[in-house]
Amino acid sequence: MERLADRYASRAVRSVFICTREAHPGENYRHHRSMDDKRRNARAFVEHSKLRRQILLDDLEGSAHRAYGLLPNMTWIVGRGGLIYYKSAWTSDADVANALEGALDFQANRAKNQWVAFYSERIAWSTRDQARFREGLVRAGPQAVADYERMLQASGASRDAPSPDVGPRVPGNFYKTEEESEKK
Amino acid sequence: MDHRQYNYSEFVVSPNEFLEFAQHAPKVTMRAPSFPLEDLATGKTVEMKELWKDGITVIEFGSFT
Repeated sequence: MERLADRYASRAVRSVFICTREAHPGENYRHHRSMDDKRRNARAFVEHSKLRRQILLDDLEGSAHRAYGLLPNMTWIVGRGGLIYYKSAWTSDADVANALEGALDFQANRAKNQWVAFYSERIAWSTRDQARFREGLVRAGPQAVADYERMLQASGASRDAPSPDVGPRVPGNFYKTEEESEKK
Repeated sequence: MDHRQYNYSEFVVSPNEFLEFAQHAPKVTMRAPSFPLEDLATGKTVEMKELWKDGITVIEFGSFT
């Protein structure tokens, strides 16, 4: 996302990062009990990941985070005046870039007479570097690793393979087959 | 939700959090809510609506962990 921010800065796109609660707290980076905790972890994050974007801290209660949906790594694109162009439950550079091109194109062409704006939703997919994700858990501490493993075992997410008609059994897919819906 | 509930000490996934996001978080085409935030570099308060005053803004939410 840093490279994407650099790339689009020349097209007058501003990019910021808002620090929320710790998604996977561990012994090394614990949950926040004060704004000083939040600042300390944010500074460690900036240094580790060499962040160049503007870093903004939500309050300790997560007021902004909760209002925007409370997910751990979502991305939003907001246009002039506060119009929401894009909301995504997960952050994917490629998907954000695609949406940005659409938003910029809309801004550039909105004065033309022959267009129609419309509302759209879609499923997006992203690969995930599991080794890198694991490194992050290890960096946070053994508790973070154990908590995540416990979640995988409880949800069955690590065992179920994707199927053509249902999709991956991971958080974020709330599709249910007719059969599954009838069980409830 | 107070700050102790919000800042959980152990990660526990909520099975409905993505559904909640899809159904109840602001929708595309709506106006983005604005909240005061603290700029880590300066310590100053930044209103979110100032971010999109002049153009398009990409907002990523996350944490170190």
